[in-house]
Amino acid sequence: MNPAPTNDNPFAGDNSGIQQRETAARWALRVGSYIVVLITLAIMLHIFVKGAPVVFQAKWPFVNTQFLTELPATLHVIEDQQGNHIETDVNGADAVKKKLGEDFRAEKTISYSGGGILGPIVGTALLVVVSVGVALFLGVACAIYLSEYAKHGKFLEMVRLAILNLAGVPSVVFGLFGLGAFVLTAPTFVDVPAERSVFSIPLGFTTLSFEGWDTCVLSGGFTLAFVILPVIITASEQCLQAVPQGFRETSMALGATRWQTIRYSVLPFATPGILTSSILGIARAAGETAPIMFTAALAFKDKLPWQKDLPPLPADASIFAHWEQSVSRFLGIFTESVQALPYHIYTLAAKIPQNEYAERAQYGSVFVFLVLVASLAASSVLLRKRLRAKYRW
Amino acid sequence: MFSTAGFCLISGAPDSRRMNSLPPPSRPPLRSVLLMSRKRTILGLDPQKLIKYFFGSNASVAIIVLVLIMVFLLREGIDFLPTYQRELQTYRRAGLEFCDIIDQPLQRNQALSSSLRQAVSASLETLSKPARDRRDAAFLLKRQVEDKTVQQRESLTQALEKTPPAPEQIEVFRRELGETSVAAAKALVYPAFFSAAESEQLQREFAALTPEVTDLPPLLQTLVAEFSAKDREARTKFAALVQAQEEFEEATEPLQEVVDELKAKALETKEKAVEFEVLETNRQRLLEAAATETDPKEKASLTKEAEESVSEAVNLKESIKEITGRTAELREQVEKYAVVIEKAAAVLPKEAGTGAARKLVNEVREGIPEHAREMRAAAATLEGWRWDKPVSIFSVIGAFFFGTQWITNSSWQDFFGFVPLLSGSLVIAAIAILIATPVSVVAAIYTNQFASEREKELIKPVIEFIQAIPSVVLGFIGISLVGNLIKDVSEWGWLQWVPGFPIQERLNMFNAGCLLAFMAVPTMFSLSEDALNNVPRAYIDASDALGATKLQTVFRVIVPAGISGILSAILLGLGRVVGETMVVLLVAGNRIAIPDFSAGPGVIFQPAHTLTGIIAQELGEVSRGSSHWQALFMVGIVLFAISLLVNWCARAVARRFEPHKA
Repeated sequence: MNPAPTNDNPFAGDNSGIQQRETAARWALRVGSYIVVLITLAIMLHIFVKGAPVVFQAKWPFVNTQFLTELPATLHVIEDQQGNHIETDVNGADAVKKKLGEDFRAEKTISYSGGGILGPIVGTALLVVVSVGVALFLGVACAIYLSEYAKHGKFLEMVRLAILNLAGVPSVVFGLFGLGAFVLTAPTFVDVPAERSVFSIPLGFTTLSFEGWDTCVLSGGFTLAFVILPVIITASEQCLQAVPQGFRETSMALGATRWQTIRYSVLPFATPGILTSSILGIARAAGETAPIMFTAALAFKDKLPWQKDLPPLPADASIFAHWEQSVSRFLGIFTESVQALPYHIYTLAAKIPQNEYAERAQYGSVFVFLVLVASLAASSVLLRKRLRAKYRW
Repeated sequence: MFSTAGFCLISGAPDSRRMNSLPPPSRPPLRSVLLMSRKRTILGLDPQKLIKYFFGSNASVAIIVLVLIMVFLLREGIDFLPTYQRELQTYRRAGLEFCDIIDQPLQRNQALSSSLRQAVSASLETLSKPARDRRDAAFLLKRQVEDKTVQQRESLTQALEKTPPAPEQIEVFRRELGETSVAAAKALVYPAFFSAAESEQLQREFAALTPEVTDLPPLLQTLVAEFSAKDREARTKFAALVQAQEEFEEATEPLQEVVDELKAKALETKEKAVEFEVLETNRQRLLEAAATETDPKEKASLTKEAEESVSEAVNLKESIKEITGRTAELREQVEKYAVVIEKAAAVLPKEAGTGAARKLVNEVREGIPEHAREMRAAAATLEGWRWDKPVSIFSVIGAFFFGTQWITNSSWQDFFGFVPLLSGSLVIAAIAILIATPVSVVAAIYTNQFASEREKELIKPVIEFIQAIPSVVLGFIGISLVGNLIKDVSEWGWLQWVPGFPIQERLNMFNAGCLLAFMAVPTMFSLSEDALNNVPRAYIDASDALGATKLQTVFRVIVPAGISGILSAILLGLGRVVGETMVVLLVAGNRIAIPDFSAGPGVIFQPAHTLTGIIAQELGEVSRGSSHWQALFMVGIVLFAISLLVNWCARAVARRFEPHKA
């Protein structure tokens, strides 16, 4: 008549499956979350495995310098009678053909896949510089207002709502906006206004005409600036808010004005954070394609933006004329359209027939692009971590 | 009395600088000097105020940009409605619409006859397939041998064509060709349906192939003859079916002839009308320029030019009469056509070679009366059609938002219908959200409630890192990796029960949906995690205290309390998915048609086009101000509106289910 030994502890866990169910559910959740992680890592690995051989090589200097320092070009592949393939560019093709003579069998040309990707890299860098410059100026100023000046009210609510909505606008709509606003309407100084000019203000020596900047770095940069503006505003405001209220109060109590307080007691502590967070903005600006499609990017260009074609000067041209040409060339970094890495990838992936040579160029470009963007994002994350550890109040 | 007190209160406000505008005489001078020194002004404004306004104006940039986006989209796009109205008006007045009344339902004929053709060929194959396979295999083998010997063959041909001929060189080449041919023929794998003797003979024949002899080798000839004999036999066996198919195809010819004549006439009229319109606007512009011109000489020349360019207006009424005048004939033809195809349906044999063919024939038999009915109904509406009925702006709006065709650069008529794009976008977004929601919510719950610190440090940065992957890179992955993966998986035998498998197109809506889901995960994950984080601690404690297990606490307390945040996270993810451009442009397949929903769930493996993709793809190629350009900006306006709506919904949801604040 002994009681069953298993039931004598009233507080013992009930083993009627709850434990198992808990563990099973926990594992299901765990597997679910690790799937995302695994997919991400798999994609990274895939690009690394396919792309790294294009960019790196086994012998000195271990990096494929041609790929990183040349402009994109059309690749000519020449096949001889033995079935060997010789890769060359447009200039080398004739020489190779002559050398092969009777041995020549076939020639294939693959657009955009030869040379390197210097043009797109330079273009993306210029676009990022312009856009981040504009966005940082506007974004930080906006964040300072939101965090330091704004009082609750209609205006503040509208600004916040606008920022939220701006963050949700599809990037292709930004592209349309940039096309309408910067490419076709923005004000510029010209001698004779174009026919499409919305209106023009004669200023005597020149005319301020609202006829747009055409597709150029400036148009694309401004468009991208508005794409990343919400990111920068939100990040900057968080950094400003993170500065303890006591700093401001101390400064004000010592008789400093509001601006002096911001200038000497808030901004110095918030700036590192603002800058690291805006690296994320850089990554975003570099990665966007749709906004620059109609505003800045070209599928193909055989020159860097500062190598503009200008009429040759006469031999007796004054030094002033030379100087003017140099300035005009230099300004090309703003007024020329460029190639950009994301648009280059799009062109390679969608606009040309696919074969092994195109694939090589694709994976090489994607690898370089991803390494650039990923290192930006990663450095932002790491720097933020270090900053957090440093400024602990 | 009161007002004085009020004044005192105001002037005595904390801003003490205002007080020294009326300095009481008893104040010590030092103080007033100190306070005065601060009172610099710029343009009569306090610099502090100026700084504040500066920042305030920068803050309003967000609002201004939002308004500017709207303004510029509307400026380029709003003219679309009148332009499209004009175009549709011309479409009607020139008689194109009249032709389409008959022509559109007639398209069904092609679908039906292609079904019939399939049925016929399937039936014929039941008899002739082995013979055809043998013939095709033999030709394939021959091609393989030829491919392997192509170099030697070329050399020999060149040598033969050379003048004067070099016999010894030809001999060398001939020997080389012979050797490689023998080797190649030997290396071939001969399918089992060739008997050993046949294989041997084929091998011999292939080894003896030379470029001069163009006749087929004897065994190949036999195989060809074998096939045509079988084919004839099959055709006699299924004579009824073959004949019905031929009859059905011929039935459309007289009607199609009439319609084509009318179409040609209408198109001619339309082109003339469009040309006239262009000239007319040009003339108006010249006249306007003349009106504003001050120089009398210039003015005279402009006016003269304008007067010279007056062209004769197209007499639409006359030309439309030529078209509508044949209404009776057209109706008669339609009636004849309907009768003929109904007869063809009646004599369609019940028997066909295979089950699938029988099914197709049955479908056609059922489809034909309906098709005939449609044709008769269309013919009946011809009488009621009026060429001069104005196209109202509402019907234009309807034609845009509910139009089922997006046709551009057409020689017939451009249509800008919104539905194909919207349906593509919505199906892709639905797939993406259906995949992304469980994954990101599960990940959020796990990281927030179960994961150890170390796991958190792995999962969170990785998921946040996804956000930094540019969309064009993901699109490229979709083309190069995911597309092939899905296609390969869809060909696995044991997965054939899945609807839509094996898939036809590598680039399809499912592929795009998967990648978009991947893109949406970080947004949805971090917002859901925030929502779970915001659940008051007291709820969890209370649940624990009541003896709930961890799982019960999570799913019955924490998730319901955070549901508003999770829902708004899903909505914001939806906004991101609908607005994404590059992935869908690269991966969705870009076929502008409403997905065929009759395919059931397999519809997700069809290609489609999207709202964002169409803008990115077509805007670069159209001229500014054309109706196509304006239509694309209209699509942009709609996208912008959708994004605002989604944002508004997300906020409304977040407010509505606001967690009962602790």
